[in-house]
Amino acid sequence: MKETEVPPALRRGAPRRRRKDGLAALGFLSPAIVTFLVFVLAPTAGVLYLSFYDWNLLSDGTFVGLDNFDHLVHDDRLLGVYGSTAYMALVILAVNVVFGLLLAVLLETRMPRWLRGIFRLSYLFPFVVSAAAVALIWRFLLNKDLGLVNYVLGLAGLDRIDWLGSSAFAPVSVIVVNSWKTIGFSILVYIAGLQAIPGELKEAAVVDGAGPWTRFWRITFPMLSPTIFFLIVINTINSFQIFAEPRVLTQGGPGDASRTIVEYLYDRAFGDFDLGYASAIGITFMLVLIVLTAIQFRLSRRWTFYE
Amino acid sequence: MKTSLRKLALLCAAAALAVIPTAACSNDDSDASSSGSKTLEIAYWNYGPAAESGNKATADAFMAAHPGTTVTLTPVTGENWGTYYANVATLIASGKHPDLMVISGEGAQFVHANNLVLPINKYLDKDADAKTLTGDIAKGLIDGFTVKGDIVTLTWGWNDMVVYYNTAVFSKAGVEPPRPDWTWADFEATAKKLTKDTNGDGKNDQYGFTWASNEIFPGIMPWVANAGGNLTSDDVCSATADTPQVNKAVSFLENLIKEGVSPAPMPMSDVFTRFQNGQIAMFGAGRWPIATFLPKFKDFDIQLYPKGDTYKTVFGGAGYPILKSSKNPDLAWEYQKFTVSTDIQKQYVGTPEKPGDSIPSRRSLAQTISKVGVPPANSDLFYDSIDKYPTLVPYPAPAKYSAFESTVLRHLQLIFAGEKSVADGLKDMQGELSSIVTC
Repeated sequence: MKETEVPPALRRGAPRRRRKDGLAALGFLSPAIVTFLVFVLAPTAGVLYLSFYDWNLLSDGTFVGLDNFDHLVHDDRLLGVYGSTAYMALVILAVNVVFGLLLAVLLETRMPRWLRGIFRLSYLFPFVVSAAAVALIWRFLLNKDLGLVNYVLGLAGLDRIDWLGSSAFAPVSVIVVNSWKTIGFSILVYIAGLQAIPGELKEAAVVDGAGPWTRFWRITFPMLSPTIFFLIVINTINSFQIFAEPRVLTQGGPGDASRTIVEYLYDRAFGDFDLGYASAIGITFMLVLIVLTAIQFRLSRRWTFYE
Repeated sequence: MKTSLRKLALLCAAAALAVIPTAACSNDDSDASSSGSKTLEIAYWNYGPAAESGNKATADAFMAAHPGTTVTLTPVTGENWGTYYANVATLIASGKHPDLMVISGEGAQFVHANNLVLPINKYLDKDADAKTLTGDIAKGLIDGFTVKGDIVTLTWGWNDMVVYYNTAVFSKAGVEPPRPDWTWADFEATAKKLTKDTNGDGKNDQYGFTWASNEIFPGIMPWVANAGGNLTSDDVCSATADTPQVNKAVSFLENLIKEGVSPAPMPMSDVFTRFQNGQIAMFGAGRWPIATFLPKFKDFDIQLYPKGDTYKTVFGGAGYPILKSSKNPDLAWEYQKFTVSTDIQKQYVGTPEKPGDSIPSRRSLAQTISKVGVPPANSDLFYDSIDKYPTLVPYPAPAKYSAFESTVLRHLQLIFAGEKSVADGLKDMQGELSSIVTC
């Protein structure tokens, strides 16, 4: 028998073992599969089904074919809402990915352990608090005439800003509040990524005379690129789906200046009782997010580095 | 669409479109009401602890008065009446069949248009007790729940829009309390006197008046009514948002902001806080703020809205209509009638420590509010406003009320932010409302 040959006994057992391993894998995966089927796939199929109906929850639904999708094209407000959603989502994404990295790198610099703990807790704490509660407090702070933020600006001799009531600043307020709440998660993931970079790589670079900037771009950034990519994908999806902040802070206004697609969809479904049209918006919005994610995956091949 | 398929679709869609904890997505038809026994299931808007305790007290009292009867309460969440209705609709579509559901006046058209309710006309005709009870209820409160001749429900409680004023702020500023016959000009002059820079930083931090930015009932409606206008036609079949009367009312409010007498509009919950800490001297609402203010905050009183070209009381009520799906409509009628019984109405009167958050619908009970010492001092005004003054009938509550209100508020945001002129904003509002307010 050659050294590389598998013993006959093992060969006979291999299919059985593979089957056994397969069953074990299925067992471990089944909670995730069941959860996905019940809470993702089935609801998505339900929404797709409803998108072909005119239904107000109480009456018998009427099959209307593609009418709801045709309505999308003729909806005067939809494009504007997509625009405000994209504006807020992209800025929130940039803040999370860029500032999150900056803050994570700063938190990984040398400092007393207790101070590092305070900083980490400060950044992470807003993330675990309810978005509605956070937005309620910020609404008080950002009130134009009676809020603390404008009071402080006034002490510096600045005019009051209509943070919640003007088309220019209402989206900015949503961006600030959402970023303040979510950046802790990005920092946490970045820190995990930074700590996974082998120390000897940096030590070798120091020995070779590389400065901090070179070390960051030649070692930290490439080694962190899968983490950055993960955060771009997650933050894109999350920031396009924000709801509580604009709902509580600005009610989506003024007009539609700070309205998001999810808020718009919710109002069509549970304000107008137009479940069919809301479902059509939901389906197309899901497709937009799938396309965006696919583009990100495609582009990531050019800049992500896997060991 | 087949019912089972629709339910399946709803099960899936509800999970994807919104998280509504109250929407029990099941085909379970074995609820209490279907058993044929003496059971009732009641859906109510759970807007806070007062709603929970009030409904529980009524249900407990009903069960004590009707031995062998079981009442199951189903609290339904919602940020306002509109979303509450949507959540109840989700509940019904998912297979639940409450016998009664709490609705406000804004919901009367909605439940009637969707063929959800059993009108109570026949009960009122044959029930001797009911005749006595309705004789003690203001006609406006019956009319407010009458749609195309069908009386949707008896009203257990209601609210009219009055001006709340902070008596401590008035006293400190040396301003006389408002009189019932005050005019818009008097109001504006009073509000100006109460607008101040209290900390000397050169900017106002105390304002004369504000209104809720998230509701039209305590927001623009009293002003629109007193300008002689309304947002819909009398048959609630077409929008009338761009009339000179509505323009006059909205321009008046916009001018208060421009003059710095009113701050940028804010949601009602924020108004409550600012009013109690003296940053806002006056605001408009029904009786419900009292449950928040008392027993800690007592420096307030109420007055009628100032008279414009006319004066009309803007009001809305709440009741427990019987749903057509009820398996026990006669028992449900008894429950509805019970909510206007003397003992239950006394709960709505409340005590100085625990006041009711609505005005009892029965005149004889409402008139005891001041006698039992529940603030404010001018509490008799609540019922007088509907008995002694003209009322805004109909309240502009089309069947698509939630869409109607959100559209009005969205355009008002732009007007009050100074980003659209009043005329242009109302014209755009009218254009959009024309497809929402229909019959």
